[in-house]
Amino acid sequence: MTAPAATVVPVAERRASRGLWSDAASRLLRNKPAMLGVVFIAIFVGSAVLAPVIAPYGPLEGELTNRLQPPSPAHVMGTDLQGRDQFTRILYGAQISLQVGVVAVLMALVMGALIGALAGGLGGRVDAVLMRSTDVFLAIPGLLLAIGIIAWLDRGLWQLMLAIAVTYAPVFARLLRGSLLALRESDYVIAARSVGAGGGRLLTRHMLPNALTPLIVQATLVLATAIIDIAGLGFLGLGPADPRTPEWGTMLTDARRFLQTAPWLVFFPAAAIVVSAIGFNLLGDGLRESLDPRLKR
Amino acid sequence: MTTTLPAAPPDRAGALEPLLDVRDLLVRFRTHDGTIHAVNGVSFQLQRGERLGLVGESGCGKSVTNLAIIRLLPKPAGRIEGGSVRFDGQDLVTLDESDVREIRGRDIAMIFQDPMTSLNPVLTVEEQMIETIVAHRKMPKADARARAVELLGMVGIPQPEKRLKSFPHQFSGGMRQRVMIAMALALEPKLLIADEPTTALDVTIQAQVLELISRLTTETGTSLVLITHDLGVVAGMTDRINVMYAGFIIETATTGELFDRPSHPYTVGLLHSMPRVDDREGDPLIPIEGRPPDMRNLPNGCPFAPRCAWRLPICWSDNPPLEPVVPGSPVVASGPAATHRIACHNPPTAEEAVHGHPSRPGHVPAPPPAGQLDELTSYAALADGGVRPEHLQVAPAAHDIDHEVPARHENAHHHHDGDDHHGPEDSG
Repeated sequence: MTAPAATVVPVAERRASRGLWSDAASRLLRNKPAMLGVVFIAIFVGSAVLAPVIAPYGPLEGELTNRLQPPSPAHVMGTDLQGRDQFTRILYGAQISLQVGVVAVLMALVMGALIGALAGGLGGRVDAVLMRSTDVFLAIPGLLLAIGIIAWLDRGLWQLMLAIAVTYAPVFARLLRGSLLALRESDYVIAARSVGAGGGRLLTRHMLPNALTPLIVQATLVLATAIIDIAGLGFLGLGPADPRTPEWGTMLTDARRFLQTAPWLVFFPAAAIVVSAIGFNLLGDGLRESLDPRLKR
Repeated sequence: MTTTLPAAPPDRAGALEPLLDVRDLLVRFRTHDGTIHAVNGVSFQLQRGERLGLVGESGCGKSVTNLAIIRLLPKPAGRIEGGSVRFDGQDLVTLDESDVREIRGRDIAMIFQDPMTSLNPVLTVEEQMIETIVAHRKMPKADARARAVELLGMVGIPQPEKRLKSFPHQFSGGMRQRVMIAMALALEPKLLIADEPTTALDVTIQAQVLELISRLTTETGTSLVLITHDLGVVAGMTDRINVMYAGFIIETATTGELFDRPSHPYTVGLLHSMPRVDDREGDPLIPIEGRPPDMRNLPNGCPFAPRCAWRLPICWSDNPPLEPVVPGSPVVASGPAATHRIACHNPPTAEEAVHGHPSRPGHVPAPPPAGQLDELTSYAALADGGVRPEHLQVAPAAHDIDHEVPARHENAHHHHDGDDHHGPEDSG
């Protein structure tokens, strides 16, 4: 901000910018790691959406005589203990991870944003009570909290989503509250108040839009962690209620015993988890950089 | 401040009520480190169309005074703890928040120091301007938009139609400040408060922006409060000047009078620490030594005493009220005939003011009373008025004295031992 301000204008005139979001998008497109992330995410989401179309077999169909086959043209990723095609199950597993991950993170985002907006917007006693409560949740290690919730509510997809949502809601709550507190004293919010803005308009027009970008970035990053958590819970036997469900973590548990005899059974689900998690991580970092209007290249 | 101001300027029959009448304004910040005494009983008035400069160094309470006037003090730490702010017939201190919100922007507008951060980065200039206009005037969006275009043109932004669609980061600093001015004047407020409007700008842009503010306020008859630490800025821009120090107004006069005949040692110091183009034979710049007092722990005496070369023993114990330079003359608080007033026990003479230091024979800045001596004041005592043997004797003892106030009290060789009633132990 110390650079002579007069040099900024020509830049804006040379590259006619169409708006904040399109500027951010063009910055994102030039960010190579973020684009690699987008490719990974595209593979992940594509697998999930197109699973019924591209999968050569059904996720549950298999011949026991066909069990533990190494990768071959008929089964590109080999077959598992029940003779089911692993490639098919990885594709369907993406469906579970995507579905649970996205819904869980959205739930966490809504819960957290609500708490954060109330705390940061109202302040005072409301703030104190809400934030101390979220501190309690934050004090418990995330996976342990999720395990506790599933132990209490029993296994199942919804329980899994809820467990992960509750684990991450405090993160969003704190983030939004922190942004709102900082924004409340920011020059442009005071400037907006000095021309008569107040109450709801101040919060919805001036503060929330500016507090949104860190939330978007954080949601992307949390999605990566959530995918790992889903697999982790699955690995611990706390995944979907039906043990036949093609869930990556559950598949790893089953394959664990054959690490030496059938390593492909471990390799492919693990690779799927890594690729999708890294994809969201890279995109999250890229978003963080490109959504900041102060960072201009 | 004990000066009582007349309810209305006495020199005009049925005179206009001043647009702004601040009385005994008291602002405190309650922080974890203690209470900050930001504004300590400030009183001043402003007529319609009058332009007032508020001058002082950082932290002297000039910005806080104005944030208090439009009730934008940072909550919950900042609070108005006394006084009244009558604006256009209403007391802003006791008014409902929703009523104050109506006044902000419509009747009182503000321009801030840093145009780079004073506009919302996610909204276009159009959205922000229209929002401001529509918030106070029920008018169709198209009309508000036309008004925004007109305003941008007025503040000298080329191609206003096109630039309206731009985001703040697509403007330069000077242009952003023009946008801020356009927004501030959108509703033709009665009072414009400009808080160091040019401090963050290039020197070449500063003059343009000042000229713009000056021209637009004159055209619309808007009253102006210009806050600055730069006396050069207020010289050509204002009718009257309040000089502030440590939350007090210590001198007030019409602009011409203040520059002709500065009468408070601090004002004299300010003028002598500022380079002037018209300086005849290169008088040396005289810095004001020392630092402003800790606002958490203001001294009982004159807050400027530790840095003052004119100080008398009484200055350490008694904070002088703001009174006319010519004793006994009637007080006119505003307008072109405003009384020149200072808060000083021992004002510099006209000749001393010209030279920037005391020149009466035998004058030595009074040493601090024993109980008040701390590191800061002893250094200040050494620094101003030159190093004199008697100071050198006092200063090194300061560290011992801090811990043994009662003992020293009896030994104190000057006659003000009854006044050092506030202990130094709580300072620092």
